[in-house]
Amino acid sequence: MNRGQQEYYKRDYAQAKLEGKPFFPYAVYKDLLIATLAIGLVIGMAIWHRVEIGEPVNPASTDFVPRPEWYFFFLFELLKIFKGQNVFMPVIMATFIVPNILMVLLIATPFIDRGPERRIQKRPIALFTGIAVIAFLAYMTHLGASSNEGVGSEGLPLTGLDEKGQAGADLFLANGCTACHNVAGVGAPGPGPNLTNLGSQGQTPQYWGEFIQDPPGGVMPSFTTFTPQQYDEIGTFLAGLGTTYK
Amino acid sequence: MATTDIGPKNPAVKAGEAAFDYVDKRTGVKTGAKWFMFRNIPAETSWFQTLGFTAMALFGMQAITGIILAMYYKPDPNSAFQSVEVITNEVTWGWLVRGMHKWGASAMIVVVFLHLGRVFFFGSYKYPRELTWVTGAILLIMTMFMGLTGYLLVWDQKAYWATVVAVNITASAPIIGPYIADILRAGPEFGPETLSRFYSIHMLVIPGGMATFIGLHLFLISKLGIAEPPYSKRRMAVERAEEEARRAAENERLPYGRREVPAVAPATPEPQKVEGAS
Repeated sequence: MNRGQQEYYKRDYAQAKLEGKPFFPYAVYKDLLIATLAIGLVIGMAIWHRVEIGEPVNPASTDFVPRPEWYFFFLFELLKIFKGQNVFMPVIMATFIVPNILMVLLIATPFIDRGPERRIQKRPIALFTGIAVIAFLAYMTHLGASSNEGVGSEGLPLTGLDEKGQAGADLFLANGCTACHNVAGVGAPGPGPNLTNLGSQGQTPQYWGEFIQDPPGGVMPSFTTFTPQQYDEIGTFLAGLGTTYK
Repeated sequence: MATTDIGPKNPAVKAGEAAFDYVDKRTGVKTGAKWFMFRNIPAETSWFQTLGFTAMALFGMQAITGIILAMYYKPDPNSAFQSVEVITNEVTWGWLVRGMHKWGASAMIVVVFLHLGRVFFFGSYKYPRELTWVTGAILLIMTMFMGLTGYLLVWDQKAYWATVVAVNITASAPIIGPYIADILRAGPEFGPETLSRFYSIHMLVIPGGMATFIGLHLFLISKLGIAEPPYSKRRMAVERAEEEARRAAENERLPYGRREVPAVAPATPEPQKVEGAS
């Protein structure tokens, strides 16, 4: 909008106000009516759908599938699209880049679309963008609502798991390691240390295979019944945490 | 009091009026309220333009039900779940208040998004209302964060694990992500302090920010006036008249249909160069 168009709008709006009606009661009654309806609807839903109480928190249980509230389903679904399959689909797209782009675009809308036209049928780009955003949000929310998977349902929310790593992750879950250790948000926060970035210590798979047979410090139980292949698998898995598998 | 009133006034009425005048003379509240309530708005406003007020009303409802819930809730990992149980099963009307707060959160998200859609499709974010949009967009983001932080407080399995995932997502952000996650968790691990931290963020930090931004939003709306729907009868009439005037001008400039005159008035002629000037 250039200066002339701004002046035109100001004059036109002043005229609209001049020919207008007072805020009270002409706008107030509409506002109050709709707000009362909305609050009535909320009370109705609260009576009709009584609030439930879930199970109390149990950080040791990992079979629980975390699911956000419905209005975060669209972000939640992004995590399933960007799983880090390749360089073009990194997880950070879903967790950081896309949400922030959406937020910046939302805030910056009036500085991107500065045309003087206000009727939607004469703003094809805005019309298309608006419908596309609504369709995207509706579709993603629908996907999130109709799927029962949580982030942790396929095991640990890790990417880059090869055959050996997957076998190690299965062993990790099957032997209750998550009762004391946390990996990428799955498992108890304690008493064991968080293992999400264990691989950054730079130890070999052999080191970790031997470590779990006789853990130093005497707090952690020993795991002495694995086959050599299984020691190799879980060692590979632990050595790659945070580096290969993240 | 009407002018037909004769005789001495009731001393109580007199005192009341004096007190009212005292306040008005020092604050201008009467003048301000009068201006606010009786200022003109465009004659034709859409029913969709009630969504902003509805969102604010729902915010008020969330504040009141939230205050009541805070009277019974205990932000401690050992008693949080139990106190929610007490609210739901034992406190009189507790189930209703908690239900209203929970459904109110969803309703607020719906209404805020519908309000966003209305403003977008009406083009109301255009000059001079750009900053009103910015404050509204920030309010929308804060509303989403209210939903996120309130979710943990119930302290059940679903709440706990969903929040663990949300905090891990925060931690994945580059550079400052891990620090923000540490601030949210009150340490490197999810622990007892995490709950009271989320409680404080949900009850004090974000509501304070939202109240501030609602104030700014309202100030801008009352200063700039509510937008006129772009399809209002008055606006359509203006556009028809402008179109007619444009056509009339075009016809006048087209004697015998010999040459086309551009629809837009031609720019002012370039100033002639003065001969001899350097």
